[in-house]
Amino acid sequence: MSSCLRNTIRELRATQSMTQQELADLIFVTRQTVIAIERDKYSPSLEVAFRIAHVFGVPLEQVFQYEAPAARKR
Amino acid sequence: MSRISFQEKMLWAQLVGMVVVVLFYGHYLVHSGPGHHYFHALVLVLLLLFVSVRTFFRWRSGSVVEDERDRSIAAIGSRWSNIILWLGLVVILVLYWDHGSMRSANFLIGILFHLLVLAGSVRIIRELIAYRMAA
Repeated sequence: MSSCLRNTIRELRATQSMTQQELADLIFVTRQTVIAIERDKYSPSLEVAFRIAHVFGVPLEQVFQYEAPAARKR
Repeated sequence: MSRISFQEKMLWAQLVGMVVVVLFYGHYLVHSGPGHHYFHALVLVLLLLFVSVRTFFRWRSGSVVEDERDRSIAAIGSRWSNIILWLGLVVILVLYWDHGSMRSANFLIGILFHLLVLAGSVRIIRELIAYRMAA
């Protein structure tokens, strides 16, 4: 289930000293889903992605980056 | 804090419940007729237990216990379960058309029971695999 999305959630959390559970509560998902998103094992819905960006107060593209499959093979 | 989600714990509990039902069926019901051993009571008690535990934890937990990832994994499990059920029903129909009739009502009940157990087990196992793959 590895996705083409890369994200900086772990780094953003670290800068704000936020735990996975705190982030999960703020974006209305389970802590296991935050873990899966951070490890690029699960691609969140657009709504959850926007909620994450909103929580950190940054644009969406600063949280998620799309990596095309061809680029990943190189 | 646990790495296993509430939904995963419930799936393991369902799997254990399924094993209990199958063991009960295999041990007490295969060679006896209907109306014995309160099989329906066992199934009802297990269902009630699951619903109660689920409702209690949802009420007690301040955090979200089910989200979009859980729902997408549940959809994967349901898809697999549906495939098994449809294939099983087609097999039952083929058996019926091939032989003209089922051997007995017990035979038909046995096939339906095993079909339901198989579909349920496949759903649970497929969901557990999906959780581990996306953990």
